[in-house]
Amino acid sequence: MSAEAVAPAPGAAGALAPHVVADPDHIVVRGLHKTYPGTSVAALSDVELVVPRGTFVSLIGPSGCGKSTLLRAVAGLEGFDDGSITIFGATPEEACTAKSVGLVPQAPALLPWLTVRQNVELPHKVNRRADRRRAERERKHPVPSSPGLDAFADVDSLLDMVNLTDAADKHPGALSGGMQQRVAIARAFGLRPEILLMDEPFSALDEFTREALRLQLLTLWQRMRTTVLFVTHSVREAVTLSDQVVVMSARPGQVHEVIDVDLPRPRGADVLLSPQLHTIEDRVRASLQGAWEAGAAPVDLVAG
Amino acid sequence: MAAHGTSTAQDGTSAASPHVYTASAAHGHAVTAVTDTTPAGGTPVVPAPAEQPGPALSAQTTSPAGRVSATSRGRSRFPRSLRPSTWLPTTVSVVVVALAWSWVASENKYLLPPLSAVGDLLVEDSALFASNAWATLQIAIVGLGIGFGAAFVLAVVMSEIGVLRRAIMPLAIVLNVTPVVALAPALVVAFGFGMTPKVIVTAIITFFPVLINVTTGLRSVPVPVLHVFSTLHASRLEVLLRLRMPSALPFTLAALRVVLPLSIVGAVVAEFVAPGSSSGLGTMIKTSAANSQLAQLYAAIAWLAAMGVVMLLLITVIEKRLLFWHESQQGATS
Repeated sequence: MSAEAVAPAPGAAGALAPHVVADPDHIVVRGLHKTYPGTSVAALSDVELVVPRGTFVSLIGPSGCGKSTLLRAVAGLEGFDDGSITIFGATPEEACTAKSVGLVPQAPALLPWLTVRQNVELPHKVNRRADRRRAERERKHPVPSSPGLDAFADVDSLLDMVNLTDAADKHPGALSGGMQQRVAIARAFGLRPEILLMDEPFSALDEFTREALRLQLLTLWQRMRTTVLFVTHSVREAVTLSDQVVVMSARPGQVHEVIDVDLPRPRGADVLLSPQLHTIEDRVRASLQGAWEAGAAPVDLVAG
Repeated sequence: MAAHGTSTAQDGTSAASPHVYTASAAHGHAVTAVTDTTPAGGTPVVPAPAEQPGPALSAQTTSPAGRVSATSRGRSRFPRSLRPSTWLPTTVSVVVVALAWSWVASENKYLLPPLSAVGDLLVEDSALFASNAWATLQIAIVGLGIGFGAAFVLAVVMSEIGVLRRAIMPLAIVLNVTPVVALAPALVVAFGFGMTPKVIVTAIITFFPVLINVTTGLRSVPVPVLHVFSTLHASRLEVLLRLRMPSALPFTLAALRVVLPLSIVGAVVAEFVAPGSSSGLGTMIKTSAANSQLAQLYAAIAWLAAMGVVMLLLITVIEKRLLFWHESQQGATS
């Protein structure tokens, strides 16, 4: 079959204007506009964002600020009216075709009839052509093998990294919400994606589980420093995880401010108690307050 | 053995229960008494009851084999299916209906035949009924196979190609609201008195529920999962086979649950309308009625009912095996 599953947004493929320089080391969002049919206010208005390879970036803002829309646009799941998105020089559709986009949605989105192991292996069962191409590319241009990275290619060590070895043969229905989300994270990391998109992955979990999963995610990311776009409602979460926090404002959805988080890495439980973290949290909160008050009023854009 | 089992239980807690369980396999009755005395785990067991012959003996004399294993498993003294609260209401209602039936039959033998007459016939002519049931069952199964297969394939095609859905769905709905019985004589004219018109009637009757359910099932895929497949750039075929088809399985089996008994209804109705062959329970019912052989008529009906029950049991077993992961099977233990 030549036609594709969920037709990637037409804008995502076609709107790549020739003047945009394809940057192999950045995710570049330029002048992104999106208005949902039947609404008067733009969901995204002139959004500019540049994310260097290997950084962890959080998107935060009041509801309706378009952070999830932006994430879906980067994933090629949603079209847009104007502007461009390039992922290390490729369009979102090309990036998906090459299987270099990992997605962790809010709901774990596991297949209930498969075991945990089969769910984690699922990305390797579909679109095998991309895997073959990747293997070929790696044969021609061998990347230095590192044990830390190779572990992500092996399902058993991957399950071990998220402490799911004992649950490997269980079905998702038998797992708690936190464990299910760990499976979804393992599935996305197992893809060894160039960009990992996480859409409020912990928002349905209780506070303790959320805290534990943040630390686990930090550990995983420390081993595979892929580029992450992380949508969240939690200031604590954004600051704990990220190198940069992108604060967005609503009506229309815009980038309000980009705040650098210069906490040392790797971050463990000790860093999370440091006064420095609280200072940055306060900055983000103040910025959010500003974004909230900005509301529909025009704001000076601060692009990263 | 019994002494060993008791001393393990004496160690204290519910952790000892696996030992009790194994012991019960070998020495069921003695241990029965032990577990009976430990309703809430944690309390040390008094060894005395195990040595008292009383309760052990009574268990031995009054309970069937199933009871012992159930006792060692749970708190209740009966497995669920043997508990009076489960079987008593059914038994009472069956007895009441049988009594009412017998009373009516004794008052007027043209309303209902005596149950004993029906029972005698079922035993004496069992071969006759079996061969007629087989004839009807063949029609039902072949018709169901064709109706189910056609509906499933069409549902898949329609879910993939929107134009075809808009083209086919209205026709399918018209076919559904058309009384198929009315179609049967025309089918007899077209295909003669053989098996063909009957199979077609059955296929048409079973077609629509499958079509609707499978179509709904193929579309009942959560959006986040579709998004994950989409970012993986999975092909339509991969989405269909790995995502949509398994998601549709609960809906497909629910359709089968409706359609399996319906296939027998279809076959019998077809035999009513399109007689010709001398076999089949439907034909049998029709001739019995013409000759006022009420006992034979109700014996045939009993066979049809039994076939329906067996089919429902079959589909329940299949659902348990295939849908262990689905919500509908949660809490459906034992």
